[in-house]
Amino acid sequence: MTAVQVDQKSYEMPPREGFTVAHFLTVADIDRSARYYEKVFGARILSLGDGNAPAYLQLANIWMILNVGGGPTPDKPTVTLSVPDPNHINSFMNFRVADIQACYELWKSRGAEFITAPIPKYGEIRCYIRDPDGYIIEVGQSTDLTYG
Amino acid sequence: MSSEQIEQKSYEMPPRDGFTVTHFITVADIDRSADFYEKIFGGRILSRGDSKGASGHILIANTWLIVNVGGGPTPDKPEIILETPPDLNRLNSFLNLRVADIWACYKEWGDKGAFFLTEPLPNSDGWEWRGYMRDPDGYLIEVGQYTQLAIDWFNKHS
Repeated sequence: MTAVQVDQKSYEMPPREGFTVAHFLTVADIDRSARYYEKVFGARILSLGDGNAPAYLQLANIWMILNVGGGPTPDKPTVTLSVPDPNHINSFMNFRVADIQACYELWKSRGAEFITAPIPKYGEIRCYIRDPDGYIIEVGQSTDLTYG
Repeated sequence: MSSEQIEQKSYEMPPRDGFTVTHFITVADIDRSADFYEKIFGGRILSRGDSKGASGHILIANTWLIVNVGGGPTPDKPEIILETPPDLNRLNSFLNLRVADIWACYKEWGDKGAFFLTEPLPNSDGWEWRGYMRDPDGYLIEVGQYTQLAIDWFNKHS
């Protein structure tokens, strides 16, 4: 059992009440992606899936579930999962950071590929990372918004 | 089971140290999406964005959902266009809600107007019961409850 605290409430995986939010990524290579999130962002690998199950990681306040594409399955009969088209994006993980320059330098030194260096925009300083499958990860530090 | 709560780190928005993971989705209508995540999941709307480009922010369980309309490219992502999902049947990543009682969630969220693709079904690996929902833009949301087999596994791997 792992747990985090948000807004004075504790969230566990698996949850004993209510629900806990995880983020699912379709990846080409489970091991490669799990090692990447461990090495660059300090995620904790709970399982690598052993070849027939998804990998589970804990990353800051959420859990990540990584698996290869496929489908459909009986519970999503029309849906196929695949790795993304890198230039047409709908949703992504957004890392809100306390010190963007420090994160930029640390994560870059660990092998993260940043699209640009941090750039000030809309009350925040922002930049983006590409993960091994081409997912973008926003990295942002608020400068004048309450909920940046 | 409090003895198992070994490292309960607290996460904030904006973070005062380290980082906090949030989930961004491109939406057609910020208000509509904020209302959906508030009504169905009991999310707390912290902001609804503004006409100058600010995003909406919703606290939902252990993370924050950040919602904004599509657009781009921007100087910090020069080749990337953000858009709502063009093909609801080809997906890459999604929010995955791990729940304590899937039948209770299925009933409660369904009563509040959530659309489920199927009722909860047992996965063939014996690991979980699962059902999928669509949000107002068609994003898939997985809802899953682990079986005792999986819970025992987590307890060994934490």
